[in-house]
Amino acid sequence: MIPELGQLALTFALAFSIILGIVPLLGSFTANERALLVAKPLASAMFVFTLIAFCALSWAFYHDDFTVLNVANNSSSLLPWYFKLTAVWGSHEGSMLMWVMILALWTAAVGFYSKGLPLLMQGRILGVMGLINIGFIAFSLFMSNPFERTLPFFPVEGSDLNPLLQDYGMIIHPPLLYMGYVGFAVSFAFAIAALIGGKFDSTWARWARPWTLAAWLFLTLGIMLGSWWAYKELGWGGWWFWDPVENASFMPWLVGTALIHSLAVTEKRGTFKSWTVLLALGAFSLSLLGAFLVRSGVLVSVHSFAADPERGVFLLIFLLIVIGGSLLLYASRMHSVRSQARYEIFSREVMLWGNNVFLLTATLVVLLGTLFPLVHKELGLGSISIGEPFFNQMFYYLNIPFALLLGLGPWVRWKQQKAAPLLKPMALVAVFSLVVALGTMAATQSITANLALLGLLLGAWVGVSALMEVYQRLQQFGSLSQGVAKLQASHYGMTIAHIGFAVMIVGIAMTLTYSEERDVRMEIGDRVVLAGYEFELQDVYKLNGPNYGGEAAELDVRRIDGTYVTHLHAEKREYTIQRMMMTEAAIHARLSRDLYVSLGEALPGNAWAIRVYVKPFVRWIWLGGLLMSLGALIALLDKRYRRKSPNAEAAHA
Amino acid sequence: MRKVLFYVPLVLFLGLSLFLLSGLFSDPRERDAVMVGKPLPAFSLPDLMNPAQTWTPDALKGQPFLLNVWGVWCPTCNAELGYMTQLRNEQGVRIIGLYYVLPEDPMFGQVFNLPVLQAEVATKLQQFGDPYQFNILDQQRRLSLDLGVSGAPEHFIVDAEGIVRAHHIGDINPQVWRTKLAAVYQQFAGGSQP
Repeated sequence: MIPELGQLALTFALAFSIILGIVPLLGSFTANERALLVAKPLASAMFVFTLIAFCALSWAFYHDDFTVLNVANNSSSLLPWYFKLTAVWGSHEGSMLMWVMILALWTAAVGFYSKGLPLLMQGRILGVMGLINIGFIAFSLFMSNPFERTLPFFPVEGSDLNPLLQDYGMIIHPPLLYMGYVGFAVSFAFAIAALIGGKFDSTWARWARPWTLAAWLFLTLGIMLGSWWAYKELGWGGWWFWDPVENASFMPWLVGTALIHSLAVTEKRGTFKSWTVLLALGAFSLSLLGAFLVRSGVLVSVHSFAADPERGVFLLIFLLIVIGGSLLLYASRMHSVRSQARYEIFSREVMLWGNNVFLLTATLVVLLGTLFPLVHKELGLGSISIGEPFFNQMFYYLNIPFALLLGLGPWVRWKQQKAAPLLKPMALVAVFSLVVALGTMAATQSITANLALLGLLLGAWVGVSALMEVYQRLQQFGSLSQGVAKLQASHYGMTIAHIGFAVMIVGIAMTLTYSEERDVRMEIGDRVVLAGYEFELQDVYKLNGPNYGGEAAELDVRRIDGTYVTHLHAEKREYTIQRMMMTEAAIHARLSRDLYVSLGEALPGNAWAIRVYVKPFVRWIWLGGLLMSLGALIALLDKRYRRKSPNAEAAHA
Repeated sequence: MRKVLFYVPLVLFLGLSLFLLSGLFSDPRERDAVMVGKPLPAFSLPDLMNPAQTWTPDALKGQPFLLNVWGVWCPTCNAELGYMTQLRNEQGVRIIGLYYVLPEDPMFGQVFNLPVLQAEVATKLQQFGDPYQFNILDQQRRLSLDLGVSGAPEHFIVDAEGIVRAHHIGDINPQVWRTKLAAVYQQFAGGSQP
């Protein structure tokens, strides 16, 4: 009964989305105020009904209703309750429903927070969101119905959730990632509304900025969490794999980052208009492309859902309508728009243009690397694969000029900047970053490694520059204490995000250079020494989990001089229903290094294969991501995004 | 001119979607047989059971054959031995084994030991059937790598001139043989087989 109610609710949501996609948009052309006013309540209603549908599916999972096919395939009565609930988004159908619910949530949120927008704009934005909703709700309802029944012959037990997904990371990783993906639909809708209206003044950019920041914030958190989860769960200490699906989330992130910066130019200076609009369309288009790649089975990936060409065709048609349609609108409207503002070659505008060039080149690298194997094969040239070395090398080269530019950019004024006043502060930054980098190398007693030194230099350059820039900015307010209160939140946000980037570069370079690993055969009592740590295998015993068995290993870690560091507990689980082996790595994390142990196969002679890693600075990678997200959050809280625009008040009057 | 520029993103996207469409209807896991139509790569490898004997591509020429990459460690390979034996006995298919030695890890006390391996192979062949004219020992896996082998079992049909004519990944069963390989084999065997 409850699942049927869920399906009914989803059907209602579809009806609301269709009205939302038609009425306000038509009303916006005939200046029919009543038609525009229905947009907001329709958006809320659509969200409420998708939420009901989502809750209905969650209810079925929570109560082990194996008469629902999706529950039977992805859950079992042995799962703890919180994993039963996360199993809701463990399958294609369920995750699609979550996607739909989140898209409706963003739509309702735009309606809720759009008091500052002119009614016309509000109606158009919500209308476009409604059109996107139609596609996804219809896809969920007709192509991947999560409420399908197994009646009359239903199983008494479900086939369990994929053990990889039985982890705390699974509880929040997909929701955050989807919040990010789908959030770019708002920037997209803003861009389309502006294209329809043909007005590209700086106001649309100011409205779009907080929404873009919010989506970017969620996407950053989602990607970081996914990376950390893979590190901890896959048992071989990697944190980024250039897997097609990771790439699919990385591309909208890169374009979203470019968009945030380009929006700043459009808002403050009224230039880069056609460019910014294209990025806004691009970020969401790449989210859609990602959804297509994951759900259609055109690429091989650990993340893929079961492939079904029919679903793929539906999504591809949807992509053609949404992306193709928006690019057509873009081409037909944008060519007549010209920017008036002038700027010199050495100016903030050009710095941010550089930022965009590098970010877009990076996107192109990822896009080519991900899709080239597909294109190559479809051209009949045979199968190839593009892996880590290609991406790592390209990003290595791209990152050097990007980081150098990033250190300089915030110092440069809009319109034009004389080089002379910047020479002194930049020289200071350069000296400081040399000292920091060489000091760190000396402290870790390793002067030789090129990559680590380069990473430290670039990281210090970006970080020191960001700190000094904000210090100098604060002093301009008279006194430091006055400055702290007066400086805009968005400026703090930028500084923190840039420091986050610096922290991440350092983490990546140090981890890549100094990580050590060993595969060893160990009996109980055996010791292995790695990077100054001694690991002693103390015990291995059988495990008895609720839905898994397996083995657990206990290890003590000491420094070479004998001081006790920590105790580690690594598991190798065998999930009984799905018959899958999972490693639960033991990790001892510190800011300066991770100790990482994973338990492998039992070997003849009462011994075990054990893999030991010491990974310096690996935490810095995720810490950097967290700082970037924090920066976005602080920028989001900037007061000026909550001020009403004067023409909005006029429209309401 | 400026107007045309704004259509570039649309054109690029439409081009990409063509590939996405055709990608939908092909299996990304399927590998094209890059070896097909090319001669066997050069090699000089010992016989598994009689290491004094060395095999080269020239020594295999004269009659088409089915080259089977396998190992006793691979259950699917063992399972197909029965049907391949039947192929040999009933249709006279010439089958040559390319024995794939798993990389051994000295750290876990594994060392390559030919007599032990020969004994294991003999036991398996006795148990499941022996379809092979002989087995080539690819201890360094160099030939398998050159052939683009991604796992075992894999099969190549090689004609009398030593040219690879078909590549099949996975086991051979009656259906695979009938639908995919029999025609190729018979074409190059001159159609003389029943």
